[in-house]
Amino acid sequence: MNATTFTHAEFLASTVTAALAADGFEVGDPVVVRRQLLDSFDGLLYADGLRLDALDVAGSKGVGLVLTADDSPPAHLDVPMIPRLAGDLPKGPFRDRISRALSVRALSTSVMFAARRTTALRRDPAGKVTVTVAVYDALEVTGPSSPDTAMPVWAVEVHEHLGAPRAGAEVRSRLAALGLVATNGDALDLAATQAGVDRRGFNASPTVPMDRHQPALVAFRRVLANLAATVDATWPGTVDDVDPEFLHDLRVAVRRTRSVLAQAKGILDPSVRATYREGFGWLGGATGPARDLDVYVIEWDSYVAPLGRDAAALAPVLGHLIERRRAEHEALSAVLAGDRYRDLMAGWRVWLHDDTADAGDGRRQGDAPVGEVVAQRISRAQATLLERGRTIDADTAAEVLHELRKDAKKLRYLLECFGGLLKPIPRKAFVQRLKALQDNLGEHQDAEVHVAQLRGFSHELADSPAVGPDTLLAMGQLTGRLEERRLAARRDFAERFSAYDTKQTARTLDELLDGPAGR
Amino acid sequence: MKVLATYSIKGGVGKTTSAVNLAYEAARAGSRTLVWDLDAQGAASFYLRTRAKVKGGTERLVSAKGALAAHIRDTDVAGMHLIPGDFSLRHMDLHLDQTKRPAERLAALLAPLADRYDVAFLDCPPNISLASESVFGAADALLVPVIPTTLSARTLSQLARFLDDQPGAPLLLPHFTMVDGRRKLHRELATSLAAKWPVFLVTAIPAASVVERMGVERAPVATFAPTSPATLAFRSLWSEVAARLWP
Repeated sequence: MNATTFTHAEFLASTVTAALAADGFEVGDPVVVRRQLLDSFDGLLYADGLRLDALDVAGSKGVGLVLTADDSPPAHLDVPMIPRLAGDLPKGPFRDRISRALSVRALSTSVMFAARRTTALRRDPAGKVTVTVAVYDALEVTGPSSPDTAMPVWAVEVHEHLGAPRAGAEVRSRLAALGLVATNGDALDLAATQAGVDRRGFNASPTVPMDRHQPALVAFRRVLANLAATVDATWPGTVDDVDPEFLHDLRVAVRRTRSVLAQAKGILDPSVRATYREGFGWLGGATGPARDLDVYVIEWDSYVAPLGRDAAALAPVLGHLIERRRAEHEALSAVLAGDRYRDLMAGWRVWLHDDTADAGDGRRQGDAPVGEVVAQRISRAQATLLERGRTIDADTAAEVLHELRKDAKKLRYLLECFGGLLKPIPRKAFVQRLKALQDNLGEHQDAEVHVAQLRGFSHELADSPAVGPDTLLAMGQLTGRLEERRLAARRDFAERFSAYDTKQTARTLDELLDGPAGR
Repeated sequence: MKVLATYSIKGGVGKTTSAVNLAYEAARAGSRTLVWDLDAQGAASFYLRTRAKVKGGTERLVSAKGALAAHIRDTDVAGMHLIPGDFSLRHMDLHLDQTKRPAERLAALLAPLADRYDVAFLDCPPNISLASESVFGAADALLVPVIPTTLSARTLSQLARFLDDQPGAPLLLPHFTMVDGRRKLHRELATSLAAKWPVFLVTAIPAASVVERMGVERAPVATFAPTSPATLAFRSLWSEVAARLWP
């Protein structure tokens, strides 16, 4: 069904319904409805070409969901309430399509309107509906921001049915003849546009556009301001524990901030740099335990899958893990709502937005072209990574791999945060090579952290009446599996590092740095 | 897209009522659903208040230049579309025989719709023919309505034997229809057949006047008798089928 929406500044809905009735439409009784556009915070459904609407009718139980995609008929599903996660929906293709797009992200309302709706149908001689017209009266829109243009107090939605184009065309002509103005899309599209909704959602990308010749201080400030905006945007969802990606994005923005501050020696005022490196170091540390447990919960199914039926005995462990996760999130929410966080961010915002607050010593490179500065930083970060990586063999302590992981992150953050300076094709190629190494180091780190946590759980659960011999046995199996994963990652390291430490990587880096260095 | 064919060698066993009502339940459960009326009688089209007309005729539809997209019609059921059938389908075998790979032709016609729909129901005519082989080539599963009678059981055996010889044959999902619990023979046969054929779906569709009313109402049973035993049975049957399709 294609939808067109008509409006007019001065018309009355009753005029339209009367005209439709006179034309032989079957006009129903008005009902009060509420329609909502649902998506994740970062617009994952939109990015996947999907649109999810929720409709509830006053006096009726439940909510009707409609999932639409380009070149595909809408799918309909009645549910008791609006789902928060894809997993809240019943099994089947409807859930699968949403789940593929959302993964662990939660749904929220992008825009909503309430209205009185009168539906008019035209039928063919067999009684089949050929066109549906919905007249929305007394519209009230709720969106993320105040609309620039006032929402019309009513709208007429025409749904043309496949196989009956003439009926749709006739009613559209009729409405146009009445002086109504057509827009593409349905009334919810109109509400979204007028409420200023950006269907793409929040973009947590650290990359900001910049000019390689601009002063380094100006460029660094811009990068840091963008990261601070991500921290601010993801703060409410993290405090409310809406979904694990809010904390992930907040934590990554904090770590990127720390990393950029670390790279800002000679660019930022040393006292500013020291104050906020310490402040964001504290904040990064505070977000760690909750994030580790988020990853554990997300990875749980893949961890326990190899155990087959024995995995059922781990139910008390999963329960404990979920409870620990909840407690860590509660503690983190308290930190994020506390004075230290508020003061840190308030002071940081002042510095970010106060161009005059740049006095200070030790800013030798503050006025240097950012392209040159970043090229130096990237070269140095790569050299550090290679130097450390080349020392690692089978007997090297795990801590050295962790340090290497940090080196890789520093390099990755530089490539991402200052990506606006870099040529996209070599940057993508270089990041792909680096990512392959990071995946290996991440697998090793996650397995090690989770083995340690599992051992901790076994002590915490030792006296629990819910934990019997089967659970302890399964925990032993799971520890063994995780240890196998860690060892496998460790075994793969040499191959992954060799694949990274190549002439091709060096050539790609040279090609990449031609840009920022301006050589 | 999962392709389900309501199929039986025997006529009058409830193929079309199964196709239309299960398609309704599939759409109601959130699947983008397509019904393709392959029967020259056009009964599914009639039940869905759609003119039984294959634009350009079946010959053109199944030819190398044929495409299904232009034949798709909305129905009054949200999320459910229909490709109507008409009397020209009686020559389907003849027209398929003129194509290069007749047994693969229906699958080839459905392929471009694979991303547009979650499930397609092919409402098939009775008999076993070239068109049936093309249906078997396209379908993931055959939903076989079986009235608990000796003749129905015999045709199910014939079909099972035929499919045994076909490489890559679709899953066979028989289910009982028009079951009259008051009749001893129905009860006995339903029990013995289910024991002999473990693939039988558990839900049986009862013989009910409300199902016959579909011809008057021209709509799936659930739309005019939402709490009737027949509606609940079709819903339960679809749950069983869906659990097989999306475990």
